[in-house]
Amino acid sequence: MTAVSADASPTIDLSGTEQVPFGRLVSVELRKMRDTRAGFWLLAVTGGLLVLALGITLLVVALDDEVTVSANAFSQIMTIPVSLLVPVLAITSITSEWSQRTGLVSFTLEPHRMRVVWAKFVTVLVLAVATIALAIVLGAIGTLLASAITGNDPVWNLEADVFAWTLFQQMAYFTMAFAFGLVFLSSPASIAIYYVVSLLLPFMVYGTLYAFFDWAQDLIPWIDFGFAVGPYVGQGPDPSVEPSTTTLMQVIVTFVIWIVLPFAVGLRRVARAELK
Amino acid sequence: MIRVSSLTKQYGDFTAVKDVTFTCRPGRVTGFLGPNGAGKTTTMRVMVGLTPATAGEVTIGGHHYRDIPNPGRHVGVLLDASAQHAGRTGREILALGAKQMGLPAGRVDEMLDLVSLSDTESSRRLRNYSLGMRQRLGIAHALLGDPSVLILDEPANGLDPAGIRWMRGLLKDYADRGGTVLLSSHLLNEVELVADEMILIGRGQIVASGTKQELLAGRSGGGTHVTALDVASLSSALESAGYTVSAAGDGLRVEADPVQVGQVAADKQIVLTDLRPAEGGLENLFLELTADTQRESITSEGVAV
Repeated sequence: MTAVSADASPTIDLSGTEQVPFGRLVSVELRKMRDTRAGFWLLAVTGGLLVLALGITLLVVALDDEVTVSANAFSQIMTIPVSLLVPVLAITSITSEWSQRTGLVSFTLEPHRMRVVWAKFVTVLVLAVATIALAIVLGAIGTLLASAITGNDPVWNLEADVFAWTLFQQMAYFTMAFAFGLVFLSSPASIAIYYVVSLLLPFMVYGTLYAFFDWAQDLIPWIDFGFAVGPYVGQGPDPSVEPSTTTLMQVIVTFVIWIVLPFAVGLRRVARAELK
Repeated sequence: MIRVSSLTKQYGDFTAVKDVTFTCRPGRVTGFLGPNGAGKTTTMRVMVGLTPATAGEVTIGGHHYRDIPNPGRHVGVLLDASAQHAGRTGREILALGAKQMGLPAGRVDEMLDLVSLSDTESSRRLRNYSLGMRQRLGIAHALLGDPSVLILDEPANGLDPAGIRWMRGLLKDYADRGGTVLLSSHLLNEVELVADEMILIGRGQIVASGTKQELLAGRSGGGTHVTALDVASLSSALESAGYTVSAAGDGLRVEADPVQVGQVAADKQIVLTDLRPAEGGLENLFLELTADTQRESITSEGVAV
């Protein structure tokens, strides 16, 4: 019994209790991301994809003497498998509170909902940084292995600004996933929309239009975040596009459309949504 | 203690809870009783800040729930035992709660012991739990932070008779140590045996409250159930004493108080084998009080025992 004395005082003495520290909320949320079967398999499959991507790249290097893969390219290849599935964790981190109805517990243990949401957001950013760190480390290992296999000197060419932009891009996409989760509060809807916006549209639609139409080359960087940020991470569809004020404006505009707006709408939704 | 003052909750035109006022005192188990959809869950959700009130307020130990820091340490809440991630093990669910509340890891084992979930059971995932096991886990979760107030929504739902007896003992013991308990149910017999006080709610409004004795007091014609070695002579003795008697199972139902029946039997030296207030006195009251709020209309036969 914390505070009820023998004479049954009707008030609870709160002086000895501190609010749950924010850091603890974050570590609880980090644990929630991996302690379910779904979370475990998602990370396990991602691990498998990483090994596969590393293996294929090394195989190509080993079979073809002409090919040299630099550390930069290696890291970029490693970024693909860690970016494919892990954003789902960012989405379910928030949507499972509704679909699994765990919000009933989460939001009674911490009635200030926004603290829970910000703690989740921090874990999402941590996850984004961790995926890039992993990609870089594996890229370096791959570079060393490739050099051992081929006998060529390893190429250490990772530039600081490209690295910074890659990190920013990854955090932005993870935030976008999280923001869609906030807006829809439903795993299937959020996951579907996220993959349409981040993967399907750019590859299937924008990419084709960009290749064939001049107007598309002007327009698409203003509406797709991936195209906008392309010139900064060395992955633009048109290598001749150099970073400029225009490209920076495109990054800002698409960032606002796809990340800031959904996030703001989502926060409002969570603050008011009832948990049934 | 929990104080609900003039609480009203509206969803559009629908009034889920209307001007509800009651108090749950420390050292007592308060039963919150009403048919499905009467507003019990809504009231409890407002208590813990999940649903904003339209009017009125709830304080727990003198505070709004929102203002209680680390509320799990003061108020144990179980709103829905199934509202946990199906893919987590029972132990992990408790471990997460303990971590968030800042409790030592050993607390998880203590609670698993308390609710009799074995090591094998606690390492299974929630989707494989029966409703009874979920309720036990939910009660363990509510008790994790050693709170002084417990708010439990339908905690006996899904428990087997042994489980209900166990929970009754647990809550009595908890209240005896000074804790405040509010538990809801739509089944009278679940609440009747454990609650010191009862609050009856129907269609969003409190229809009666008080101890079982208070609720039954002033109700005439509760009746008595009596069985004797010689039922026939008891029956004629009671009838000649002017009481209405009808056959009920092995014994008789008499429209009189137990003491009056006992007196007649003593005068005639008839050996009684059973003497008690007729079953269903409280149930009749419950059905009557909530009659206009029930989905099914209750006929007089339906109420008769």
